[in-house]
Amino acid sequence: MTPARAIPYGDPAHLAAHQFLVEEAALLDAADYEGWLGLLTEDIRYVMPVRVATARGAGFDTLSDMGHFDEDMYSLRKRVQRLATDHAWTEDPPSRTRHFITNVRTFRGGGGEWLVESALLMFRSRGDTRPPELVSAGRSDLLRETEDGLRLARREITVDEPVLRTQNLAVFL
Amino acid sequence: MLALGTVLADVRRGMIPAHVYADPEVFALERDRLFARSWVFLGHESEIPDPGDYVVRRVLADSFIVARDEAGVVRVMFNMCLHRGMQVCRAEMGNASHFRCPYHAWTYRNDGRLVGLPFHAEAYGGEDGFMRAGQSLLPAPSMATYNGLIFISLDPDAPPLRDYLGDFAFYLDLYTRQSPAGIELRGPQRWRIKANWKIGAENFAGDSYHTPHTHASVVDIGLFREPKASKRKEGALYVAGPGAGTTYKLPPGGDFAEQLRYVGYPDDMIPAMTASWSARQRALVSDSGFMVSAATLFPNLSFVHNWPQIDAAGTVVPFISLRQWQPVSECETEVLSWFVVDAAAPKEFKRNSYKAYVMCFGSSGMFEQDDVENWVSITDMAAGSMARRLNLNSRMGLTSTGQPIKPPMDAASFAGPGVAYQGFGEFNQRHWLRQWSDCLEREPAVRGPAADMGAAVAPGAAR
Repeated sequence: MTPARAIPYGDPAHLAAHQFLVEEAALLDAADYEGWLGLLTEDIRYVMPVRVATARGAGFDTLSDMGHFDEDMYSLRKRVQRLATDHAWTEDPPSRTRHFITNVRTFRGGGGEWLVESALLMFRSRGDTRPPELVSAGRSDLLRETEDGLRLARREITVDEPVLRTQNLAVFL
Repeated sequence: MLALGTVLADVRRGMIPAHVYADPEVFALERDRLFARSWVFLGHESEIPDPGDYVVRRVLADSFIVARDEAGVVRVMFNMCLHRGMQVCRAEMGNASHFRCPYHAWTYRNDGRLVGLPFHAEAYGGEDGFMRAGQSLLPAPSMATYNGLIFISLDPDAPPLRDYLGDFAFYLDLYTRQSPAGIELRGPQRWRIKANWKIGAENFAGDSYHTPHTHASVVDIGLFREPKASKRKEGALYVAGPGAGTTYKLPPGGDFAEQLRYVGYPDDMIPAMTASWSARQRALVSDSGFMVSAATLFPNLSFVHNWPQIDAAGTVVPFISLRQWQPVSECETEVLSWFVVDAAAPKEFKRNSYKAYVMCFGSSGMFEQDDVENWVSITDMAAGSMARRLNLNSRMGLTSTGQPIKPPMDAASFAGPGVAYQGFGEFNQRHWLRQWSDCLEREPAVRGPAADMGAAVAPGAAR
């Protein structure tokens, strides 16, 4: 349960969390996925539930038992290893991505953990002439203070489209 | 101007005019002659388990409500209000006792019956002006289920579904009836790709030849216990009824239970699989030593079954996915990809199998990522002028005179029905394309006159 009030923007903890997300986005845009894995805790949970168009009164707009991603460290490592092979055709030539991170709010989690909400717009260009693709999502992260600094322990991505209009998720959000 | 006769003659020679993968005239024929008549998958009963549950699904441009009514009966209704044509239900899933049109509040029960018509007396003069009694949303012209899979046909004279499935039902059971409890579907993940719908359908039907190269990366990273993607060439390809599929060769010598264990099925599930499948279905696994992999039921429903390692300890767990290649246009397809699991499977198996699925297939799947890249690229290339000068060779497995380069398998080596060949070949894609060709030569379904809604007798002139 996210606390009701975000900590003030001037709070050093907020600035550190915000900077973490921006630095992380820079690694993703540089396709430095090994570096990105280094920002995750060993017990990382990385999920992206399928969003659905339901009536206002339905009480749900994501699927509780189906995601576009539902990952732990093993599966994320495999994905990163795959992209590093010479045979990951879909990313060769690689996508050019830009992860725009905004609307960042930090909430006190206790026990050296911070809940961070952010908005993401990912612009993805593939090939030379293909129309670009956009993925818009909210992200709900759990950042944990470790000896090496903040690390991402959990991310839930709430994508804004029920039907994705990107060819695949060979990129991270 | 499309020279259909030439195109189909070429296809039947195993030479595919490349432009059929991006041709608006071909797409229009597919819409009018193929999708207007074929049995098309819409969903599974497990997606709407309770009265009032519904999902909204399409057959090309036509939207249908697939609902379980208060009596528990599954109904498929055209999602268009009888009055002014609004889309009655604009959510994609949910639970409702009624569907109310937002335009003028015409209201339908979840079995389709029209029960609410505001100001019926004042506006229409009651039943004489608009006969409300007995009216309902248009039902799908034909509807039937098999193992809980819901199919419709826009042709009221479609052959019975079971007759249509023919010998492919044998293989369908292997994916969709692992226990008497049947399957449950989760999802679907939905995403749109700039690829022609036929390419995925053909690929799943029989393209074992692409696996060693397209999917080299997943072998590189050790996602599978078997070290080489070339194991694909030991597999058997089969065609049966309107379907076709690929298999993997299992290690020699195992009995039925041992082979299921090898693929990663827990001991808890094996008795039900033994009971649920016929002796011949079990023999395909035990005596012949083949396990089903990818398959396509014509026209656009595909299946996949595989068994990756889901953790660093090397735990092998199988998964099944069912997917539909829903045409949007000649160069765009919506993929609907479901995770499928035996409803009676242990919780832990369901969790692990789901993990295996998400890693391998679907919107982020490590197999699917590279597949779609190829299909988008084919579609892109097929749209130009030069593609009209190129017939793609789809004759793999045949000599120049049209004889198979090796004989079909006999019953002793492949226990399943239909015709099977071991090794690489494009027998299955040609089988799919022959059905496609036959469909494009059919006349569109006979629709008869459109129904006059609410009229007791054919009304006279309006003013």
